[in-house]
Amino acid sequence: MIPDDLLAVVEHHGQAVARGEDRAVLADFRQDRIGQLVASARPPREMNAAQVLGVEPGPVEGQYTAHIRYTGAGGDEAIFRSRWIFVDDAWRVTNVRNVPDTPPRWPDPEPDQLEAAHWQGLERGELRLQHCPACGTWIWAPRPICPTCHRARPLWEEVEPHGTVFAWTRTWQPFDPVVTGHLPYVVVNVELAGAGGRRLMGVLLDGDRADVRIGTTVHGEFDNGLLRWRLEAA
Amino acid sequence: MSGFQGAAAVVGAANTPLHKRGTSAKTSLELTLEAILAAAEDAGVDPHDIDGFSSYAADDNEGLAVGAALGVREIRWSTLVWGGGGGGVSAAVNAAAAAVASGQAEMVAVYRGLSEADAGRQSYRKGHLGPLYGAHGMLVPAQVCALRTQRMIEVDGVPAEALEALVAAAYHHAQTNPAAVAYGKPLDPAVYADSRMISEPLRLYDCSRENDGAGAVLVTTAERARRLRRPPAYVLSAVQGSGPGWFESAENEDTYTSAGFHPAMVERLWRGAGIGPGDVDVVQVYENFSGPAVASLIDLGLVPPGPDATKVLHRDNLLAPHGALPLNTAGGNLAEGFVHGIGLVVEAVRQIQGRSPNQVPGAAISLLLGGPMAPLVSATLFGSAATLS
Ligand SMILES: [Zn+2]
Repeated sequence: MIPDDLLAVVEHHGQAVARGEDRAVLADFRQDRIGQLVASARPPREMNAAQVLGVEPGPVEGQYTAHIRYTGAGGDEAIFRSRWIFVDDAWRVTNVRNVPDTPPRWPDPEPDQLEAAHWQGLERGELRLQHCPACGTWIWAPRPICPTCHRARPLWEEVEPHGTVFAWTRTWQPFDPVVTGHLPYVVVNVELAGAGGRRLMGVLLDGDRADVRIGTTVHGEFDNGLLRWRLEAA
Repeated sequence: MSGFQGAAAVVGAANTPLHKRGTSAKTSLELTLEAILAAAEDAGVDPHDIDGFSSYAADDNEGLAVGAALGVREIRWSTLVWGGGGGGVSAAVNAAAAAVASGQAEMVAVYRGLSEADAGRQSYRKGHLGPLYGAHGMLVPAQVCALRTQRMIEVDGVPAEALEALVAAAYHHAQTNPAAVAYGKPLDPAVYADSRMISEPLRLYDCSRENDGAGAVLVTTAERARRLRRPPAYVLSAVQGSGPGWFESAENEDTYTSAGFHPAMVERLWRGAGIGPGDVDVVQVYENFSGPAVASLIDLGLVPPGPDATKVLHRDNLLAPHGALPLNTAGGNLAEGFVHGIGLVVEAVRQIQGRSPNQVPGAAISLLLGGPMAPLVSATLFGSAATLS
């Protein structure tokens, strides 16, 4: 059962967002996290219409999930999933994101010369890490010489992109406008199976609904010069 | 005993008022000068007598420029600690102590100033995380510390309640410190638990938030310290550095859930003062974030690792005056204010001087820990005159 007053609030909220009525929109947000909420989701350009696609209970007790489609003048659209709770005498948004979830992409990584071979490999769909041919040490982050035997110029060995989750975090805070539209997202630090225990960071695909656990197997997927990770199907 | 053995001491300590980030009209140099002048007044020293300068965290104001602005008679020595942001805080004190103990200088100002007005937003971020981080949405130290804290909780079994206890103690202490940014703003446990997630498992109140402000302490020889008006806070032992397989390795540190105080460093710290963790009266532990601070205390042997961490890290045990491990007694980075931890130095010294806003009665051994989960970490053990005999 969805409270009637919530349905009305969600409908009104969608229209206020589409019309750019900032004051009304902000009043619908939890007041202690307005900054985070405003910069979490990315609307279409020249947004001018909203359509509530549905409101359902959950995912937790006392919370309701709304999906609203926003449309722009140029035909762009974006679906926002907002989660509502009753707090401070009103229904308010406690988190919001674009769906489906897509990973953030830094526009120009400007890699260090030392890392160039790694990034060039990713462009070709190959994961390459430094490996010392003299003593067998896997080296990461990249170094100018092998830190074990001091041989110059370690080789760039291709490694299978799979391993296990060594650590993870789900980031909610919009630390930069680049991640707006992708929040929250999960970054995993992956212990590679074939590189002497060396670890590599990357965004977990479908992280929004993932129940991430340390030790879970993950597989890499190449995505236009970046390596993303996906949990092995249970 | 080895190391400093009380050859150098801090004789004056002061902070400027702390402002919400971006609200001070003053430049970081103006704030720094204000702090140094206040520290000199605290010590009863003529600021023109300062002859050395030490800072860290890529401070914008070179010692030579600070000295020129103060019109000092002579600059005999100056340095900046490399790397690690707040990891250099103790190291900057230790470097100053080494300078005076070796006769290279006599009165060294250790300082750190931040002002968004001239340093730009998020000055703590400068040059910190490269493309191996940024390309994957890893933009700030909070996320790095979140990864490590998550593993500390999930694999090592440190209860999340240990983090909350540390935060709660900091906010409690800030309520008796009128200079603290959280003064008059006690933290309700329900508000902590419901506060917005920044990067899991770290919530808003687990994170320090940068302020505009500055702090400074003056370090001089033991001989000169005895002739000044404040009880000297002697440097008993001092360490800085980075362990094997630790630094600059894009999240490949060997001991990933450590704060970076590796066993050889910790042993050296205690041996330098001829004491152990049980002898510490009060701790100022750098909390960029709550998780790394907990990791520091575990590294130092002050808190047991894993699920037992909460045997020591529960709120009442961390409160001055009666807790067994009083920490961050002015509110720390989290609740007093964050100028890269210089306020923790000031408070570590005030405890020895007997003028903390939450004084630990008879505090004789005061520990300062800088940097956690940063490429560089450092620590200083301060002692009262009684500890030298
Ligand atoms: Zn080698």
